[in-house]
Amino acid sequence: MIPMALSLPRTETSSHAAGAVTMDEAAFRRLYQRTARPLRAYLARCCGDFALADDLLQEAYLRFLRSGFEGEDDDHRKNYLYRIATNLMRDHFRRKRPETDEVPERDEAPGHDVAIHLRSDVGGAMAELSPRDRQMLWLAYVEGASHREIAKALGLRATSIRSMLFRARQRLAEQLKVRGLRPQEEVS
Amino acid sequence: MSTKTCPHEDAVNAAARSGDWSPELRAHRDGCMTCAELSLVVAALAADAESLSDESIALPDPGLIWMRSRLAARERNFRRATRGIVMVQRAAVAVAAAIGLAFAPGLWNLVKGAVSGLSFGSSIAGLPRAAGSPLLVLVISLTVLGLLAISELTAAPER
Repeated sequence: MIPMALSLPRTETSSHAAGAVTMDEAAFRRLYQRTARPLRAYLARCCGDFALADDLLQEAYLRFLRSGFEGEDDDHRKNYLYRIATNLMRDHFRRKRPETDEVPERDEAPGHDVAIHLRSDVGGAMAELSPRDRQMLWLAYVEGASHREIAKALGLRATSIRSMLFRARQRLAEQLKVRGLRPQEEVS
Repeated sequence: MSTKTCPHEDAVNAAARSGDWSPELRAHRDGCMTCAELSLVVAALAADAESLSDESIALPDPGLIWMRSRLAARERNFRRATRGIVMVQRAAVAVAAAIGLAFAPGLWNLVKGAVSGLSFGSSIAGLPRAAGSPLLVLVISLTVLGLLAISELTAAPER
């Protein structure tokens, strides 16, 4: 498994009188700038709703700041953010249990036709999977998270991840093939 | 559904992400079902992630998130700082209520006696004697303190 794709420089933190350690606004803005876009993409693809993704994104950062989590480095902080975001999505899907099978796919931002079609294809294929499969696949193949990190984020046993990921991958590949995408095609 | 893995998965994963395929790896991918699926999934997800992370997509303002976080922290600090005062107020109400209940029958008789001793016809003359009654002062003080504490506790929390 390749290391985490998003390698970030250290973010400054400061200590408060009460002993709680938290970051200042400038450090928060730097962390936000480096992590918000990929985190939003993760949320948007896994919950399938851009407006909801923005809400969950804000809530994830609010919880992160409230926790006063210091972390060893920005990768550690980023992992923690993804864990919060994953928990928020899980809570959301629990509350909205009857709707989890049908994930709305909204391409609001106008852009290149090919990009929209591809996003629509992948979005449609992902929407056919369970939220856990979507999260697992994204963390593994977009974020490059290790099995241990995925297990931690999703609250699963690390030993189960390999086989679960393999099955999720097969399901997604099947859905992509149904939509006419083939391994030989250069999708990127 | 089998979970047969391939020793070339890591290399295929990296190549699918970068698009940098060696002829051997490409040939292997075309002949290996596991690696073909892996490369399809990785390339599709990478392209999708790139599309979703488009710089033109507006993100929520981090300044607003920071401000909301500070406001929430201030509220938590306020609650933490006033927790002691609220606890003392609650204790005062509880003590006042306990004293009131414990001495209610006796106090009632004493108050009744003190009030009946007053002549409202000449109230000005009777007031000093009533005000000087220590028990009446105690009862009134406790009542006032209790009412003050109750109004403080039932007031809307400050935002």
